[in-house]
Amino acid sequence: MTHHRDIDAGPPDEYVEAEIQRLLVEDPAVAEQGITVVRRERALVLYGEVESPHRREEILRRVSERFPDVPVTSDIGVIRAQAPTEIEQLP
Amino acid sequence: MVIRIAAVGDVHLDEDVVGRFRPALEELPECADVLLLAGDLTRHGTEAEARCVAEEFGGLAVPVVTVLGNHDHQCDQVPQVVKVLEDAGITVLEGNGVVLDCAGGRLGIAGVKGFGGGFAGRCASDFGEPEMKAFVRTTTDSADRLGAALRSLDCDMLVALTHYSPVPDTLAGEPLEIYPFLGSYQLGQAIDSAPTALAVHGHAHAGTERGTTPGGVRVRNVAHPVIKQAYSVFHVGDQLDTDQVSPIGQSGSQRSWS
Ligand SMILES: [Fe+2]
Ligand SMILES: [Fe+2]
Repeated sequence: MTHHRDIDAGPPDEYVEAEIQRLLVEDPAVAEQGITVVRRERALVLYGEVESPHRREEILRRVSERFPDVPVTSDIGVIRAQAPTEIEQLP
Repeated sequence: MVIRIAAVGDVHLDEDVVGRFRPALEELPECADVLLLAGDLTRHGTEAEARCVAEEFGGLAVPVVTVLGNHDHQCDQVPQVVKVLEDAGITVLEGNGVVLDCAGGRLGIAGVKGFGGGFAGRCASDFGEPEMKAFVRTTTDSADRLGAALRSLDCDMLVALTHYSPVPDTLAGEPLEIYPFLGSYQLGQAIDSAPTALAVHGHAHAGTERGTTPGGVRVRNVAHPVIKQAYSVFHVGDQLDTDQVSPIGQSGSQRSWS
């Protein structure tokens, strides 16, 4: 990372958040509607769940490519796909 | 009579996911009579992604019934996507229904993708600009077709399958501001217009599993990021293992699902 911009500066960063949120949905390489962008003290943090490790890496790559000056970290999980161990009874 | 229903939504398949669900899917015949897919099968709704869905969810030993989601519409290839799925033996519902003969009785499933609009007291109205009216009328049409399909099925147990949510309950965890994009109360109204036993939906990746329509129909959000397993299994019926059923009024336990 090069220089950190002040991310507590107000409205301009809200626009960045909005742009990142739209990038996550509208960029065909990402197309995720379930990722949340949260502004923390030192960086924007991406939260959510995706279907593969490849998608998680791609999200971070595309966001840092488009916003090289914004410090972004991610805490995105890959959703488990094992068979259920319990059933739900609905009388 | 008990019918065993497996369900998952929002699997968002592409090449990078093929094979992840399959081991769990192979176990389906032991635990379910049918698999319901609640839309968003793909990332962008391309024919190539639909082939991934066909590979992952085709050729299973239980019938597979699906609706499409908003992602499956992204590339405007809906007819091609539907054809690939149907060629793989998957039943695709949109404003219609299907009746399956299960060991526990005839299961009727009616499905639509549904649409947004919001929930009672906080919803969009059929008023103003043409764009707004088109938005609301899309929802109303969809709900009308779901209600008609539900009421038309001759079966022992009725299930509604949608992508968008019929109730706000199962959206808990999503920002309130986006509820109108996640579902609409008209879908709930359609579900309540028939003797529906269970309503299953997806779309709300950050929502929660359980809810109820105003008419008392159980609603389950089965979006994969919500259930965090390959599928959920519901045993629906009026003669479950007696030790699993809490004692309610005698008349209640005699009710049939037709
Ligand atoms: Fe989805
Ligand atoms: Fe969706």
